[in-house]
Order: sequence, then structure tokens, then C-alpha cells
Amino acid sequence: MILRRVDRFFDERLGSDAWVRYVFAKLYPDHWSFYLGEFALYCFVMLVATGVWLTFVFQPSHAGAFASVIAFTRATPVGYLMRQVHHWSAVAFIAAIVVHLGRVFFTAAFRKPREITWVLGVLLLVTASVTGFTGYSLPDDTLSGTGLRIADAVLLSIPFIGGWAADLLNGGGYPGPLLIPHLYVIHVYFLPVTIGALLALHLGLVFYQKHTQFEPDPAHVVVGRRFWPDYTLRTLAVFFATAGVVTLLGALIEINPVENYGPYHDWLVTNPAAPDWYAAWLDGALRLGPAVEWRIFGHPVPAVFWPGMVLPTLAFLLVVAWPWIDKTITKRDEVGDVLVPPTAAPWRVGVGAALVTAGVVLTLAASDDQQAVGAHVRVTALVTLYRILFPFGSIAVGLIAALLAAELHAFRAGRGAERERVVELVRNAEGGFDAREPHST
Amino acid sequence: MSAAALLVAILAALGAAVAAALHGPVVLVGLLAALSAFAAAVAAGAAAVQLRAPNTLTEPRHPQGPSAPPPLPDDVLARRGAFGRLWWIAFAAFALAGLEPLISLGRMPRRNGTAWRGGARLVTPQGTPLRPDDLAVGGVTTVFPEGRVDAPESAVLLLRLQDGVMQLGPERRDWVQQGNVAFSKICTHAGCPVAIFRHLTYELYCPCHQSVFDVLHGAQPVSGPATRALPQLALDLDRDGYLVARGDFAEPVGPDSWWRTL
Repeated sequence: MILRRVDRFFDERLGSDAWVRYVFAKLYPDHWSFYLGEFALYCFVMLVATGVWLTFVFQPSHAGAFASVIAFTRATPVGYLMRQVHHWSAVAFIAAIVVHLGRVFFTAAFRKPREITWVLGVLLLVTASVTGFTGYSLPDDTLSGTGLRIADAVLLSIPFIGGWAADLLNGGGYPGPLLIPHLYVIHVYFLPVTIGALLALHLGLVFYQKHTQFEPDPAHVVVGRRFWPDYTLRTLAVFFATAGVVTLLGALIEINPVENYGPYHDWLVTNPAAPDWYAAWLDGALRLGPAVEWRIFGHPVPAVFWPGMVLPTLAFLLVVAWPWIDKTITKRDEVGDVLVPPTAAPWRVGVGAALVTAGVVLTLAASDDQQAVGAHVRVTALVTLYRILFPFGSIAVGLIAALLAAELHAFRAGRGAERERVVELVRNAEGGFDAREPHST
Repeated sequence: MSAAALLVAILAALGAAVAAALHGPVVLVGLLAALSAFAAAVAAGAAAVQLRAPNTLTEPRHPQGPSAPPPLPDDVLARRGAFGRLWWIAFAAFALAGLEPLISLGRMPRRNGTAWRGGARLVTPQGTPLRPDDLAVGGVTTVFPEGRVDAPESAVLLLRLQDGVMQLGPERRDWVQQGNVAFSKICTHAGCPVAIFRHLTYELYCPCHQSVFDVLHGAQPVSGPATRALPQLALDLDRDGYLVARGDFAEPVGPDSWWRTL
């Protein structure tokens, strides 16, 4: 009743009821993999909800940050849970984005006319990762402070403007007096607002251009479920499931126990020292990077520049430009509303598998010291192994994945052909049956 | 099914709120909150399944491709001249002028050297000055210049080795005092504290990226991604027999940058 009156109130002033009805009757194609992006979206909802709460108890200064985190964590179960759920939502958010990106990649959902949605999605992944890193750094503990110090060294390594960029973040020197306030405003304002804007555009395009589907589409129609009440209930279930997952993780598994690390000093460090999972590939790259310092025009270009700055920039450009690279390879630029089953394009499966492997190798390299201790081998041996695996393991896995995909596709096509053969059974003179083509009678 | 699940969700949510208000165990509060969310998910999911709504409804997709807007009036397109082009130059000028505030944000001085000065006593993080015999042979500790404990980039590792094992060049011979030798603790690779001393092999090890420095040869990098030795602090003894620095480091401390001068 109340909703109807609200609807009428706005309709009388804006003529909005037609639009509301359109939204509620709109169809959405349905497949389990389409809910991965929603999982990411609802992680962001959880992040905002818990993050707003945390702004009321956190003190964003070098002097007070660590103490305030310890204080509100210990004071009430709510404070502890808020921080736990916030951190778990962050790592789940980025994981969900990566898996969602993989779904879009392997089913070629990025094709025309959805290249813009793809680019926005990649920007969301980058923004989410940076937001995660700045938030992880806010408690100003020994582990995250070490991560900040490394980020400072990477910024500092940029030719010509490195010192300026590092000072911009730090507010002079390291650790600068303004570092924590800068990170705070970046983490709670600039980046979340950016994520919100990118999300609005990303979802707006999904709404406006309509979702892709697996169903063949000769008649140029969307095949799917109505938004109200069918899809509404489904997405509501995904929201509550997301909330349940991050709350359960937060309740049961301690994440980033900064009270065990202690407050940050630039001369203290934990051993081992490894970042959250989504930043580990960059840390791994720093560990594998060659120990070379080139000089350009007499100026040093530090070793961290290549793995810390150049590699992620190239990776970002490759992923952002993928829709255009894909159309150059396939030589096709038609509208692609219908998804491609991954196995139908084995070469794309190969490229994706190679990229995933490269990321996994770098991520593993970020804990090579712990693996060396566990396996009783020298860490330098593992560094050599991962340096070989990074290019060659990736190519090998890519080739194997492409071959498997091609085999699987051929196998499925063969089975499909068998299943579709329809025959008519006719009694013969001996009392048995003969198969005949149905139209032959 | 749906209604029962929703009832569980309501009860669990209220239970979580009460448990939190009474400062109950964190795990109980968290589990009740999670149960509430999962029960609500089951309620919504079961309701969706019970709808038995078809997933084969169809609606037309938008026509794709470029739009065909009505032609613009002639005077909208025709007005292009020197004045119009001047606007582009104006916008470029505004952008350039806007760069200056951006550049000014990063102009604070960077790399002012460390807090070490000639005659500064080496003190522990607790502020205790050290004599050459205070560390046992094979021992290691972090030291700062007296009065400047915690000063940025100034942490130094003081190591005590057997007399005469150090293999330094002639210019560094008197930087060592009775087996006491001091190096910057800030890694030259990415700035982490080089916090681990492998006393059997006389190596300093950085836990961040596994750079290894050979203490006996002036902390030259021997493994890992570091490319530059840890700067050595020249040591002396003051009149009271305490270890002091001869001056600031001769080289920049910490990670390198484009403007590093040697």
C-alpha cells in the first residue's frame, strides 16, 4: 500500500510509473555464472556498511591509528566483527571480481557492443585492489607499514618524477607525517566514490545494453527471467548468501591480526612478510625481478622499477585492450549478444590459462621464503624455479589448456550429434526391430 | 520452507543483536549473524524456486549500431573559425596552468640524509649508549644516534665480529672498532629493515625480498634483488669509551631513485 502511494506520488510529478513497470518487467538471462558479478557487488555493499561504521572509531593519524584499532577491536564484539568482516569482504570482493572477469573473458562476453563495460570492469579491479591496499595499510602496523615502505620504493623508482610521486603520497620523506591521513582520505573518500561511479556506469550499461546469454538468438531477443518477483528473489538470495559468507569467515577465521604485529617503526619488520593475496603477485614479481640497476643518461633506474611498475602497467594494458586484441585475432567485429562456450574457442582458453598461470606463479613466489623453509631447499633455488616457470610454465599450461579445450569440444560435439539422431523402429519379419530414418515411410 | 527459513533468520538476527549488546562471545555473535543471513538467503532462494517461473520469457533487444539523429541546423555546424580554434589553445593553457598546483604538492624535500652526525653516540632503541665490549662476539643490535631514537632512515645494525675477520678496503679499516661494525638497516632494494643476521655465514638477510648482504665484504649484495651495498657507518670511540659515529653515511640510505647522486 505504502509502495503504491509512493509510486503514485512520483508518477504524478515525473510520469515515472511507466519506467518503474519497465524495470520490474525487464528480463535477465539466467545462468549460475552470471551471479559472480553480483557476489562482487554485494561484497562492496558489505564493505560500505562495515566501512562507514569503522570511520566512527578509527583515528587517522600516525600517532593514533594503531592504538585506536586495538582499542575498538578489544572493546566490543561488534568492533572486532566489523573489522574482521570488512577485511574478509575486501579480499572476497577482489576475488569475486577476478573470477567474474574470468567468466566474461572465457565466454567472450566482452565483444561488441560491450567493450566499454569490460574496460569499466578492469578499472574496477584496479581501483578495488588499490582500495584494499590502502585500507590494509591504515592500522599502521608492522606488516602493512613494511608494505607501504615497499610501495614508497616502487613510486620512488619511477624515472624523473619518482621522488615527486613518493612525496605526494607521503607528504615529505618516509614515513611522512601525512602518510596515514593521505591514505585515509584516499581509502574512505576518493576510491570508494570512484568505485561507486564505475559500478553505476558498469551496471547501467548492463541494464541498457541488456545481458548476454547462452541461448541462440536468431530472433534477436533476450531469453530469461522477469525481474519481479523471480529475479528479485534470486538476487536477494545472493545478497544474503554473500553477507553470510563474509560474516561466517569474519566470525571464525582471524584475518590480519595486527595486535600480534605491533605498531609500525621503519626499523622493525615481521618474518615472514607477505601481503594480502591480491597484492602478492606484485610482491612475488619484486622477489623474482633481476638485480640490475641500469643507468639512463647517468641517472639510476632502480631494480624495483621493472617488476614493480613496468610489469603491472603492461599487464593492465594487455587486459584493458583485450576486446580489441581479440577482434584483431578473430578478425570479427560483429555484435556478440550470444556467449561462446569456452571450449568453442580453445585458443582463448589457452591465452586465459597462460595469464592465470603467470599470476599464480608470481603469487606463489611471494611466499618462496616460507616454502623454502617448509621444503628444506634454498630460497634461491625456488627463485630460479619460479623465474623459469613464469614464462615457460605459463606457455606450457596455456598450450595444454588449449589442447584439452579442443578435445573436450570435439567430444561434446560428437556426443551431441549422437544424441540428436532420431530413428523410427519398425518390426521386421524375424520379430526383431530395424531402425529407419523417420521420414522414409 | 521459505517462511520457516525467514523465521529462523528473524530469530537469529535478534539473537545476534542481543548477544552483541550483552558483549557475548564474538564467535556466538558472528555465528548468529551469519546464520541469519544464510537463513534469509535460503528463504529468498526457496521462494524463487517455488515460483516455478519460466526462464524462457523473451523480449526484443535494442537495435544495434549508430543512431540516426535528425540533421542539426546549419548554423550549429557552420560556426567554426579562428575564434573556435582559439578555445582549444585556451583549454590547453588552463590545463598547463593547472599542472603547477599538482607539481607543487610533491616539492617537499626528499632524502635529507639521516640523523647521524660526527660524535653522535650509538644508543639502543631504549636509549642506552654502547661500549665496544657491550655486544658479545657474534651479537647484533639496532642502534640510533643518541637523542634521535626512531629517526626516519637512521636505524643502524651494530654487529660484533671477531677482531680482524672483516675484509674491508684500506679506506674503511678504521671504521671498525674492536670488531664492532655498523651498517644501515634500511634495505637498498625496497627499504625494508634488513633484520636478520645469519651469524654462521656472516650474512644479513632481508625478510621482504630475500636479498642477502655479505657482512665481511662491506655488506655487498650477494643474492636476491638488491643491487647496492648497505651503506656503512664509520665508527669511532669518544673520550668516555663509547661507540660514536664519525659522521653521516657517505652514501644515500635506502631505496634508490632517479635523482640519487653518488
